Amino acid sequence: MILGRVVGRVWAARQDARLGGAKLLIVRPHGVYEPALPTGHLVAVDDVDAGVGDDVIVALGRPARLAAAKSLGKSLGSSSGAPASDDFPVDAAILGVVDRVELDAAASARPGAAPGIARPLPAITDGARLAPGGRA
Amino acid sequence: MIRGTIIGTVWATRQAAGLAGRKLVLVAARDAEGRASGRVVVAIDTLDAGAGDDVTVAFGSGARNVLAPGPDNRALLCDAAVAAIVEGAG
Repeated sequence: MILGRVVGRVWAARQDARLGGAKLLIVRPHGVYEPALPTGHLVAVDDVDAGVGDDVIVALGRPARLAAAKSLGKSLGSSSGAPASDDFPVDAAILGVVDRVELDAAASARPGAAPGIARPLPAITDGARLAPGGRA
Repeated sequence: MIRGTIIGTVWATRQAAGLAGRKLVLVAARDAEGRASGRVVVAIDTLDAGAGDDVTVAFGSGARNVLAPGPDNRALLCDAAVAAIVEGAG
């Protein structure tokens, strides 16, 4: 899982039928994240009613498909319970809205730790939101 | 798996039911030489690791096997888990 902040929302004009009703949010990971694609953001299905400005926990891979299947299975009106989660075209899902992050100052300042994350997380501003065609 | 240092704890009251209130730690990943890679991951901790501990983190099915070994764990909402607390590394 990774820690990130919701910086925007995506609406799709046309989408895979299995994504019907999915709320898609743009998440900017805290710390450095190494996605397969060269982008600083990822798009995640929202399972917990997160909003722009929230810090969130994002699961990647199979657990994300599983969470999406649980929430989307309901909105698809499946009568036989949630559809097989492996069928869902999803690789990232928001699993939690973060209340608090307690950082250990000594541990995060040690060589080998992540010095950048020890700084207070920046507050979200309009300027930090994803501009059309731009980056946050 | 990766090696890393626990730098903090994360709390989320509003969370997916499958997370089941498990303890979540923030791990700063190291590269092959033991230096900071700049990558930070959130991992489920069942070993009661504390801030400053050097740990290994398993991903994917390896992470699920930390929580519940066996073929019946595919429904677990877990993609990263602390697999070991490192005592020494040569």
